[in-house]
Amino acid sequence: MSTAAHAPASFNRYRRDWRALLTRHEMLLLYVLIAEWLFFYFAGTSTNRRGVIVGFGTWDRQFDILRHSCEIGLLALALTPVIITAGIDLSVGSLLGLCAILFGKLWHDAGLSIPVAIGLTLGIGALAGALNAVLITALRLPPLIVTLGTYSLFRGLAEAITRGSITYTDFPETFLFIGQERWLGLPTQAWIFLLVALAMGLLLHRTTYGRAFRTIGLAPEGARYAGLPVERRLALVYVLAGLIAAIAAIIYTARLGQAKADAGTGYELFAITAVVLGGTSIFGGTGTIVGTLLGVAAIAVLKNGLACLPVVMRLNAAEEMSGLFTGALLLAALTASVLPKILSNLRPRRHSSTQSIPPLSP
Amino acid sequence: MSSPLLALRQIVKNYGGVRALRGVDFDLRAGEVHALLGENGAGKSTLIKIVTGAHAPDGGTISLAGQPVADLTPASARALGIACIYQQPALFPDLTVAENLALRLDATSAHARVDWTARRARATALLDRIGAAIAPDTEVCTLSMPEQQLVEIACALGSGARIVIMDEPTASLTQKEQHLLYAVVRDLRKNGVGVIYISHRLEEISALADRVTVLRDGQSVGTHAVGDINEAGLIRLMVGREVAQIYPAAESAPGAPVLSLRGVGCTASGVHDVSFDVRAGEIFGLGGLVGAGRTELARILFGLTPADSGQITLAGETLLLRSPQDAVAHGIAYVPEDRRRHGVVLELPIAQNITMAVHRRLFPTTWLRFGAERALALDYIRDLAVKCAGPDAPGGSLSGGNQQKIALARWLATRPKLLILDEPTQGVDIGAKSEIHKIIRRLAQEGLAVILISSDLPEVIGMGDRIGVMAHGTLRTILPGGSDPHTVMAAALGTAA
Repeated sequence: MSTAAHAPASFNRYRRDWRALLTRHEMLLLYVLIAEWLFFYFAGTSTNRRGVIVGFGTWDRQFDILRHSCEIGLLALALTPVIITAGIDLSVGSLLGLCAILFGKLWHDAGLSIPVAIGLTLGIGALAGALNAVLITALRLPPLIVTLGTYSLFRGLAEAITRGSITYTDFPETFLFIGQERWLGLPTQAWIFLLVALAMGLLLHRTTYGRAFRTIGLAPEGARYAGLPVERRLALVYVLAGLIAAIAAIIYTARLGQAKADAGTGYELFAITAVVLGGTSIFGGTGTIVGTLLGVAAIAVLKNGLACLPVVMRLNAAEEMSGLFTGALLLAALTASVLPKILSNLRPRRHSSTQSIPPLSP
Repeated sequence: MSSPLLALRQIVKNYGGVRALRGVDFDLRAGEVHALLGENGAGKSTLIKIVTGAHAPDGGTISLAGQPVADLTPASARALGIACIYQQPALFPDLTVAENLALRLDATSAHARVDWTARRARATALLDRIGAAIAPDTEVCTLSMPEQQLVEIACALGSGARIVIMDEPTASLTQKEQHLLYAVVRDLRKNGVGVIYISHRLEEISALADRVTVLRDGQSVGTHAVGDINEAGLIRLMVGREVAQIYPAAESAPGAPVLSLRGVGCTASGVHDVSFDVRAGEIFGLGGLVGAGRTELARILFGLTPADSGQITLAGETLLLRSPQDAVAHGIAYVPEDRRRHGVVLELPIAQNITMAVHRRLFPTTWLRFGAERALALDYIRDLAVKCAGPDAPGGSLSGGNQQKIALARWLATRPKLLILDEPTQGVDIGAKSEIHKIIRRLAQEGLAVILISSDLPEVIGMGDRIGVMAHGTLRTILPGGSDPHTVMAAALGTAA
């Protein structure tokens, strides 16, 4: 066609540059992840007295990492589109707790079957997300404050319902299969996690919805002037976050075999860390699902790997260490991502300041 | 006689390829009110920015009281006694009047103790001097706009300003407040202060100013004592010779009316009683001064600030436009004035910018079709001759004129019935400007109804098949295309010339 003839030679080159720019952060993170994994493989694996390999380098440990990262991973998937629209949702961890409690109540107290209780719980999650959505889009309140409010509200509700003491247990084996068994070689919940990841990936990268999220994150006014349904798209993002938090609640309950009001406490912060580590800009507009998955993996491997290190085991400080290193990793990643920009900004500025000094002045 | 307070000689200023000032001479004497007059874009703001040190001139000299001044900065201009009072007062709204004055006037170190009594006393003294009945402990946010302007003036006085620049100070004032301000200006003059007074109100200039300088196209076209020139003469100077540029002319008569407005108004944005028709194939130029309500009208038609009175009919259908989605669904397209904030998303690729308003048509299943998107983008890049590295280059990598073409392409892709263009050639170089003019004419020729909002008088007159002139939120008159610029300017100024 005449397209190729008309287009300047540089048309395709630009395209590749642009792609390279986008993938650079994810590639960097992949290297970090591999390095991390190799380090723990060599430093965190040992043979015990009976000659059995223990620690990080076992298949069991790998599956365990996967199993334990599903809930925070789901929340991170939920938060990726939220943050891409330049919003935030602090309430997902609390909502996980509330949904876990309500699921337990629906099954245990209301006597509903497990599938019905799951269905209702997912609906409740979406509804709770809709509450955030209404406050943010209809009343135009800032997402940070709205979800800070619902963060307390949802957790408070969960605690009020259980009066801080009730724990729902004795779930049927068939339900616990979701959280404690393997299916087709992988922990069951990993399949759910991967399915949600695929769905979110498609939504974000292959549909007009993802386009709208990005545009809103980059230029909310510009999106309005382009006739995009800004409010409806923003609402969708928060409803989806609620729905996915409910899925995470089900998996959490199935993994531990119990539903308590404090389920998922602090998870929202781990999830945000994973999303930002994965290259999603907290200012909105950029971010990928692949990046988020890598971010989740980097944090999960770090946390589990540290627990396998002999030094850490001797000090009995796995929690503290993982907090410390996760924080350091996040700050390093953020610094690395802005460093090229700062360096390139420094040069022209220095240039222009020497230019603007006038030749003479009495 | 001593040398003038301020003397500008052959001031030149370029912004990229645009020559904003091309050798302006300007004098200001002590104890004089010197009015500065000119169309939008004639160079008044640029001149002010140079005098206040905000921008450095590319050529020419500035002297203060006979002393040449090199590299004026905002700080040094203030130190030299140059103060500027803008239309929108730049005070801290949550601080009191006395605190605002102290912030501007005191060069205190971080550790100095605050002497509240002295602060208050000085504020009272300054406010009294200009006859303002404002308590120094009032928070600025509780003051009205004119009161805030008075505080600004008190600030200028307190800093010992010898040159006070007022940029359309009466634009938002009531009659009574205007007279209060006039008294203050006269008082400044009596005290030997030189006042540069920018205004669009001719009657105000003849009442208040001693001399008037008219700027046109970045040049001074004459300085006159106010007694020596009448309003018609001023308008003639502002508008200048006949429209020099050549605009593409209409080749066929317009068709049936596409858009009809009857008594349209919106209380929130101050637009009222606007009635006119736009026909298919017609370019309806919308002229007027900045703040006349043209952009506000466009925002009504695009559903951004819905109308609360009147009737809007498009192609025989009465419309309720509550959101941009409504407007787009009915075939209304709006290329906004603020290109960089609203028109183009600078970070996104050109292709995505172009297809942004046609998601539903181009991707009916919501699944993105990258090939179709690219093809559509390439079509428009070629059709509008956009100079770019390719459809995947970010919008921010383009020049102003090419960004404007992208903004235009986005809306052409929607195949609209009505296209509203808001200042489509602002900040665009001459070459791209005439290209955009040709595109607009071609679109009209293809049967599109076009509303062209422009502050560039020759553009409105040259492009418009008919010209609606707005002033104070309503449509004043409709003139035929190619009208005498003086008539258009007179209508925009609200005088009968």
